[in-house]
Amino acid sequence: MTMLMRMAWRNIWRNKGRSLVIMASIALGLMAGISILALYKGMIHAKVRTVIDRESGHIQLHHPHFRDDQHPAYTIADTLALNQIRQQPGVQAAAARVVTAGMLTTTSGSAGVNIYGIDPADEQAISKLDKKIREGSYFDTQTRHPIVIGKKLADKMKLKLKSKVVLTFVDTANTMVAAAFRVVAIYESDNAPFDERTVYLLRAQLSGLLSTGRQIHELAVILHRDEELDATASAFSAMFPDLRVETWKEISPETDLMVSTTDQYSYIILVIIMLALAFGIVNTMLMAILERTREIGMLVALGMNKLRLFLLILYETIFLTLLGSPVALICSFLLIRYFNRHGLDLSGFGQEMMKQFGFQNLVYPEFPWDKLAGLVMIVAATAILSGLLPALRALNLKPTEALRK
Amino acid sequence: MNGKTVIDAHNISKVYNRETIPVYAVNNVHVHLERGEFTALVGPSGSGKTTLLNLIGGLDRADSGEILVNGIDITKLSGSKLIDFRLHNIGFVFQSFNLIPVLTARENVELIMHLQRMPRAARDQRVKQLFDEIQLSDKLNSRPAELSGGQQQRVAVARALASKPQFVLADEPTANLDSKSAANLLDIMLRLNQEEQITFLFSTHDQRVIERARRVITLVDGKITSDTAPVKVTST
Ligand SMILES: Nc1ncnc2c1ncn2[C@@H]1O[C@H](COP(=O)(O)OP(=O)(O)O)[C@@H](O)[C@H]1O
Ligand SMILES: [Mg+2]
Repeated sequence: MTMLMRMAWRNIWRNKGRSLVIMASIALGLMAGISILALYKGMIHAKVRTVIDRESGHIQLHHPHFRDDQHPAYTIADTLALNQIRQQPGVQAAAARVVTAGMLTTTSGSAGVNIYGIDPADEQAISKLDKKIREGSYFDTQTRHPIVIGKKLADKMKLKLKSKVVLTFVDTANTMVAAAFRVVAIYESDNAPFDERTVYLLRAQLSGLLSTGRQIHELAVILHRDEELDATASAFSAMFPDLRVETWKEISPETDLMVSTTDQYSYIILVIIMLALAFGIVNTMLMAILERTREIGMLVALGMNKLRLFLLILYETIFLTLLGSPVALICSFLLIRYFNRHGLDLSGFGQEMMKQFGFQNLVYPEFPWDKLAGLVMIVAATAILSGLLPALRALNLKPTEALRK
Repeated sequence: MNGKTVIDAHNISKVYNRETIPVYAVNNVHVHLERGEFTALVGPSGSGKTTLLNLIGGLDRADSGEILVNGIDITKLSGSKLIDFRLHNIGFVFQSFNLIPVLTARENVELIMHLQRMPRAARDQRVKQLFDEIQLSDKLNSRPAELSGGQQQRVAVARALASKPQFVLADEPTANLDSKSAANLLDIMLRLNQEEQITFLFSTHDQRVIERARRVITLVDGKITSDTAPVKVTST
């Protein structure tokens, strides 16, 4: 430790109360910042997991035109592709879907919906639809034309179990088709808008109505490991040059965007917190320099040059700023670990709002290790920037005037 | 060693409040000081003693004149060169609150040597020697607040000598001391002057201090009115 550091260290303890207040506020601010990062990380992680594990899967394959123009004629040969995909290494599960857009009509009104024709057993491994059932039973075999609808849609259309609905859509030959179905189950996911516009039928029944035969529209694939996403997607592209292969990032670009923008938001929030704290730090240091005017004048008189004086003030500011940081890191680490295990219930902020944005109410915050370096840099920059003004103030003191104080 | 010029200042002036009512704090003054002198600068309050010492010490800029220290005109030095010049050539003792409160007596003295980048062994040796001379070897690790006013001024003298300066400037070093402490400080300064040929220029208006100087420069309204050997005042 140099003489200057020793002086700086002792100087911050000259006014213990004031220094401790500043350190505590920096620690609290940092804890708040880290907690927000952790919350974001937990929410985004959960959102990505929901998209992959409960909505789209890792990878989907379609006819090249299907995603642009959902015409039922843009199909894939089922047996061929599905079996090949299931034999690929890294693939955990795959399911074939028949998909079309249509109109759901009841006695009280109508709503536009995406209609999925699924194999109930296969879908359990992809979107886990069976786990989302709130009422009724997942495609019970008693009902001849079963439909599973989302809770949001049920509420809106005042539908209950056993309610009858009519679906209208066009088939491959552009002929209007209408058929009646009976609600056998109502599901609820974390994504309310999705629940409102997605209904499920048995694949064979929808294929029959669309006259697509054994052809399907969509293949959804779940992998064993997220890391194999890009490699597997390229492998599929090579295997099926006639199909469009897309990862969840392309299928749900809004989720991918959310991942990258929350990173930016996190840093912006941190910078705002630090800016607020910087005011306190600058004030404290200016006050300290005012109190020590005579002493600083004397140091300059004795031969302390501007660089050393600058360093002295900077060291003081850095010590003042960084001392609270380890405490903040440890406390937030413990806090985050607790809530990571037990979950943090955010339904107080409005259960509906969270669902509206596709988030779960129970968030499992994760310590933002990936942002630790950025965090340390932001805090260090705060310390240095906060030290500049007080240091300049000190440098501008004239020794003779300071000594007369 | 005596006979070598350390300070040669000509025609130096310092004017305050030039725009309103000008105050000629130092008015066309000449000061010539040789190595080994023990000189008092006396005069009533406001006569310009502090201003003159600040000019000679390079703490303040003169409005006119030149100040040669060891042949170097310090009025021509840039700000940073001047700071460095002070560090290596001039020792300072101020009236009161001389020491840095967060540093121990020893660290206060060492600070100067740190600033000079003196190696550790040389520092240790110099600290030991200086504290022997000011007779405070037992207070090395005391903070200024734990020392008496007289002890603090003695440490300030040691600090002024730490850099082995050309001369020591002391602005009313005894002003805040009781007579016993003042006499003790003067004893130490005199002994350093006689044994080590340390050059002292100090301001004072304390008659007992003036008596012990070997040369007395009197300042009135910024002008030197006399420059003589001290006049002994015996009680009447
Ligand atoms: N910074 C300043 N601004 C204006 N006037 C000053 C300033 N410093 C000193 N003076 C004036 O200069 C004169 C000399 O002051 P000073 O050198 O402090 O005298 P002394 O040390 O002998 O008491 C006084 O009249 C004082 O008021
Ligand atoms: Mg004075």
